[in-house]
Parts: sequence; C-alpha cells; structure tokens
Amino acid sequence: MNRIAAATGLVLVALGLGIFGWKVFGYGLPVIAQDPEGLWRIELSITVRGSGARGSVRAPLPVTAPGQEVYDERSVSDRLTFSIRPEGQDRIAVWRGQIGDIHDLSYGYRVRLAPSKQGLPAEIDAPSRELIRSFGRATGAFPSGSLQIAEVLEQLSLPPEQDVPGRLRSIYAFIAHEIAVLEGGSDDALITLSNRGGSERGKTALLVSLLRAAGIPARPVLGLELGPGSPRETVWVDAWAGDWVPLSPTGSFFAARPAHLVVLRTGALMGVESTGTQALSYRYHALREHLRADELATLMVPPNPIFAAISLYQLPVPTQSALRTLLLVPLGALVLALFRNVIGFQTFGTFMPVLVAFALRHSNLGMGLAMVAGVIGIGVLGRLVLDRLRLLLVPRLSILLCVVVLGVTAFAIVGKDFGNRDFFAGVLFPIVILTMLCERFSIAIAEEGMRNALTRMGYSLVVVAAVYPIMRNARAEHLMFSFPELILVVMGCLVWIGGYTGYRLMDLIRFRSFAAPAEGPA
Amino acid sequence: MRPMKVWRSLREKGVLGINRRNSRYTLRWNPRHFYPNVDDKLRTKDLCRRAGIPTPELLAVARHHFELRKLGPQLMRLHDFVLKPAHGAMGNGILVVRGRDGDRFVTAGGRKLVLGDLLYHAAGIISGLYALGGQPDFAMVEERLVVHPEMATIATDGVPDIRVVVYRGVPAMAMTRLPTRLSGGRANIHQGAVAAGIDLGSGRTTHAIHQRRPITTHPDSGEPLIGREIPGFKDLLSIAVRAADETALGYVGADLVVDERRGPVLLEMNARPGLMVQLANRQGLLPRLHAIDQTAQEGRSVDERLELGVKIARTAGALREVA
Repeated sequence: MNRIAAATGLVLVALGLGIFGWKVFGYGLPVIAQDPEGLWRIELSITVRGSGARGSVRAPLPVTAPGQEVYDERSVSDRLTFSIRPEGQDRIAVWRGQIGDIHDLSYGYRVRLAPSKQGLPAEIDAPSRELIRSFGRATGAFPSGSLQIAEVLEQLSLPPEQDVPGRLRSIYAFIAHEIAVLEGGSDDALITLSNRGGSERGKTALLVSLLRAAGIPARPVLGLELGPGSPRETVWVDAWAGDWVPLSPTGSFFAARPAHLVVLRTGALMGVESTGTQALSYRYHALREHLRADELATLMVPPNPIFAAISLYQLPVPTQSALRTLLLVPLGALVLALFRNVIGFQTFGTFMPVLVAFALRHSNLGMGLAMVAGVIGIGVLGRLVLDRLRLLLVPRLSILLCVVVLGVTAFAIVGKDFGNRDFFAGVLFPIVILTMLCERFSIAIAEEGMRNALTRMGYSLVVVAAVYPIMRNARAEHLMFSFPELILVVMGCLVWIGGYTGYRLMDLIRFRSFAAPAEGPA
Repeated sequence: MRPMKVWRSLREKGVLGINRRNSRYTLRWNPRHFYPNVDDKLRTKDLCRRAGIPTPELLAVARHHFELRKLGPQLMRLHDFVLKPAHGAMGNGILVVRGRDGDRFVTAGGRKLVLGDLLYHAAGIISGLYALGGQPDFAMVEERLVVHPEMATIATDGVPDIRVVVYRGVPAMAMTRLPTRLSGGRANIHQGAVAAGIDLGSGRTTHAIHQRRPITTHPDSGEPLIGREIPGFKDLLSIAVRAADETALGYVGADLVVDERRGPVLLEMNARPGLMVQLANRQGLLPRLHAIDQTAQEGRSVDERLELGVKIARTAGALREVA
C-alpha cells in the first residue's frame, strides 16, 4: 500500500472514530441505546376502603436523583383529590377526600436506573451543622445516645474520628457479619442489638444509630428492589461521608447502590399509609421498558448545537426509517470489498450481492436465497426459449424482466399459501437486478461453461449470505444511524482495502503450485 | 498446504497478485483515455495498419442493425471467417467459421449454422451483449487465420495463440495458449486450454500447465509440450512490442497467432492481462518488472528493448534457480 493511501485511510478512520468517540465519551451518548437495561415502568396500586369519613392516603414517590431518573408520571385518583407534597428531598403523594366504599388509586412512573458512583469520596469535609442537626442526633427510632450503642462502639475500637471510611467499614462489617437477619425479627434498634439479630428494618435502625453515635450523620432509606418478580420494599442506610453513601444493612452493598434499587424515600421508612380508612392494601408492579422513538431521540442527540442540528433524529420519522436501512449499505459494501479484493471472490455484478442481501433483509435467508435461485432458474429457462426467437437485446431483456416479474408473482401466491407475507416484502426492488443476474448468468453459462458460471453464482450467493446478517442487524442499524460519522471509518477501511496490494486468498489457491517443489523440466 | 507457506513462497518467487497488478501496473501505466486503443478492436487494427503491424484482414463491419442486411450477402460470399465484437472481452462473442457446407456455415466447433444464426449473433454484438460495459458495439468480420503447422500439431481443433506481456515497451513474459477438447477449441485457460510458458531468448516452451497442474504432454494428442519452438518468435516479440508502443499503454498483453502464410499476426491487445502467464512459466513477473523499471527503456529502439527483455528474462530465471 502506498503511503498516501495508508495515510488517507488513517485520517478517515481517525476522523470517524474521533467524532464517534467525542459523542460517546464527551457527551455520554450510549453506543447501544436500544438496550433497555435499567429502564422500568413501575406502578403502585392502592386499594382503600372507608366508611365515608374524610381521610387521606399517602405514598412516597421517587425523585430524580443521582442514579435514578423519574419521568412520565401518571396518577389515578378515583374520586379523591390528588396532590404531591414535598418533604425534605422526598415527595409524598397524597390522596385526600371522603373515602366511601372502595377506591382504586394508582401512581405510575418510568424510571431509568444506573449504578450510582462507586466508592467513597476522596476528600471528606466535616458534615455541616445542618446535617448533624437533621441526621446526626439521637431520636426515638435511632437511639444513638444509649448505653448499649456506646458499648458496641467501644468494643469495635474504631479508627480515629478523621478516618471516616475506616469507621464506616468497621461499623458496616459489624452489622453485616455479627447481626443476623431474622425472619419476623424486631424492627427496633436496641432489641435487634441485644438479640444479635433482627429484621432488615431493625438492622437498618441499628446501623443508623451506631453511625450517628460514631459522629457520622446517617439516615434510613426506603426503596424498591426490582427483579424478575414483583418489586419488594426494602430499606438501607445512607451515611454521610462528604456525600450520601449507601450501605446495605444485610451486607449486600457498600458505598455503591446496585442498579436494581429505586430510592422511594430518605430520612424515614414510612411506606404507603392512610388515615380515616378501614382497610388499605397496595402492591407494586414493575416491568422492563423499551425506549420510545422520541426518548431515543432525546437520548441520542448530543447536547451540542452543531451535533444536535445535524442529528438524524431530528428528521421526520419516515425519512428516519428510510435512512436507517440506507446507512447499512456502506457496511455491506465494505464486506463486499473484503470478499472481492482480499478474499478474491468473483461475483456477478459489482454490487449485486449487496443489493440482493438488502432486498432479502425482511425475509428468512434460506427462503430468500431459494426464491432468488427459483427466479433465476425461471429466468434462465425463459432466456433459453428467447434465444430461439432471435430478439434484439433490449426487448429481449424486457421480456426477461416480464418473466422474472411473473416468477416473483408466482412466488407471492405460493408464499401466501405458506402464510408467509414477509417472504414477499422486499422483493419488488431487486427485480431489475434479478433480471440482469439471469442475463449474465445465461451468458456466463454460454461463455464460460456451466461449471464456472455455477462457481461464480455460488461465490455471489456466499457474499449475499455474508452481507445479509449485517443488513438486518438492529444494533448495526442503530449504530450507523446514531453515529453516521462511522461511514468515514468505513470509507477509511475501503481506502485501505483499495490500497492493499498483497495477495488475495484466491491468488494463493490459484498459484499454490509455486509453493510445491519444482518438477519436470523447467 | 498452509496459506502462510504459500504466501511466503509466492513473495519469494515474485508472483504478481491481482491487487498489485491493478494498483501498481494497470492503474499506474494504462491511462484510462488510452483504453479505447485496445478495447475497440477496429481502432487497434487501424493503429496497427498505419504502423505496418500485421493483423487479420478486415472483411466486413456492421455498426448498426440496418447494416446487417448488407452483411448477409457479404457473409454468403465468404468461405471462412471470424465474426467478433469490436469491444469484446476475454474472447467473448467470437464466432469462428472454418468452412461452408452449401448454404450453411461450419463453426470451429463443428456446429452448422444458417445465415440467420450468424446475423442474430451479429445483432447481439451490435446491441452490446459482449461489450465490456454493455455499450453499443460493432460486429466485425475478419479473415480466419490458418494456424502454422508447427503450432497446429500441439493444439486440438482451435487456434493456439501467443500472449506476450509487454511492460513499458519491454517484453516481460510470454506463453502460448493451446486449445483442447475440454476448452471447446478456445484458447481460454479458464475453460481448459493448455498454457505453456515460452523462454523469450530461444522461443521454446519451457513448462506447461493444464487446469493449473503441470503437464508435459498435450492432454488430447499426447504431443510433447516442452521444448517446442514457436515459429518466428523473434518477429512475434517485435510485433508485440511495436503494437504496445502504438497503443501507448505501459502494461499490456499482446495476443498473436502464427499464420501459415503470414507468420506472426497481431490478434488483439489487452489492457488488463491476466496472471496465468506466471503459472505457465512457473515464474513470477515481479523480478522482471522490477528489472525493467531499473533500466531506462524510453527512447530505445525496438531491437534494443527486445534484447533487454531477453536478458532480464534470463537473469530473472537465474535468480529463480538460486531461490
């Protein structure tokens, strides 16, 4: 390869990857946003029954915070008045009114979860007075001033006060390893301590109390644990170490909240409650969600005026879907170039395999290839008959086109009987290609012999089969559409392939006898 | 056989691959605007006639469909001839009529055709069926050459030709392509013709392949294929070199036939000569092409360049012995 070609390829690849990297690392665009990891629809359904007295139902609502984004919220209030009341950093949903017979209330939202930042902050400032007042003092639920708590701290022989991480670790280890989780155990901090075991809430209360006693502000957190089944209410602890650091009372996480936990409420553990009602029941539902087109757009458009202006997500949706498939064609051409110039496959027509693969992308490959083969068979037979009529080229090709159209129509009718409508979906476009393929194949049979013609057809179909998976790969499609600059990378690779002057794989086969020891007179 | 081993030995022997041929030789030395000089066979013929290079005599031309009516009576007057497209590639669309059977025409393959068949074929040619890019083409009728008896003994029912690869006006390598029954009388290696490498100095065949495998005798007749002398080879090389000069292409294949009466005659030129000549000679082209690059050939006389080509072929051969 000459230097200019190598350098040009490098510039194109670097430019494409540079823009791509800028968008991915600089603006945090997801490479594969199709992946709905961490995206959930959660619905809280509450059923209350009352006797007609005034009453209220309260439920904690999650807020958008580091690691979770809440949006697209909807409420059903069923004859009650609905309002949202802020409470510190939390939000409480309140349904108020005359609670007669049964009311079905619900509150739904979507939440996108990401694992919160890992680890403890490097520099830990002393907590503000405000923090200590709110989260550092003993309360009824968190008796941090009690004697038993002080004893435990003494036994733990904590590191000095400045070493907040060390203190956190010791107390966390004590709660995680020395205090058991008991089924039906106590929710109370001191009972949990004296029993050396308690409920999740009991351990949480004990952990908060110990932390506060050790001079670390701490608060309980109520959250939802999402999983394959119904979500479960769970509790953990936020300890202040320059920032709120989540600690699991059961020892399952330290200083990093897993991405399947939603924070519902901080500072208090009250879940759904009611006053003035006779009965209350509630449950959470959670479903994994997929991105909608408009969300994808907001997600995929970088917050940069230039990038945003040229983002393909700004286009009308029909244009978008046309471009989505179009942008895959360069990838197909890249594969084709590899097959032709590096491997050395001879194919019919330069881009024929790409176009056929493109046309087949909506149908099953085996069926598609069978159909192409069937149409070519019909076409070649048709051409054999036409040969006897001695027609001029263009009319003959046009008749061949008609034969191919008839063949495809026949396949459509057969396809209907098989109940496969996709079968036919992409076929209209490549009719002309198929016609030219029939013609070239017939000529190749006459000129190069059946064997060579079939070999070349085989190579062409192999390339079709290689390009086909790319043409229907949703990830590749998304990648090219979100990052059209990758076409520059494709171009750079094509410059490299174009500048490749080494042997093709088929050269090695063709000339392999050079590697054999000399024989006969030379 | 391991691919890397093959790769290394191909490099060692300086075998030219398709990619390198395209980028270093045809793209570099054959400017696109000179391609018509070889792709249009009428033009090649015209260039050669002016330069006094022997080519088959042109008997008739049909440029348009309406001229086919005139072509009919012309063909009826001929005994034997070749009907071919002016822009054909790889020998496609060439119909050889070797004689007559009353009103019918007997092809080289022995098929008997009526005039209508021939005119249909000519119509296909004019419509561009055999042209490189499918563009409208001319049908030309040429004198059928009679193979020199020396050459005829080593070919079965067909016309053997000689391909000379000329690089920057210097003959680099040559082979003869001998039709076989398998190739249907065509001198096309891919269809089963035999290819035999020719030593540029002596004009004798050195090595032969059939279906990519080395052979020493003709697969049909059993005639020995090694050490056969090509009649008038020196003249043949000089014709190839002069024709290459006329076409102004730096990397060409000249295809010639040795006629019984006229001696070497230029059939056509090819701007993208294939690489089988290397297998036929069991030698790579690259050492020779490099050697040619290292000497200034421009401005030298044809004879000087012939001598240079022979010398380079000999040293490159010696190099191979060392390797």
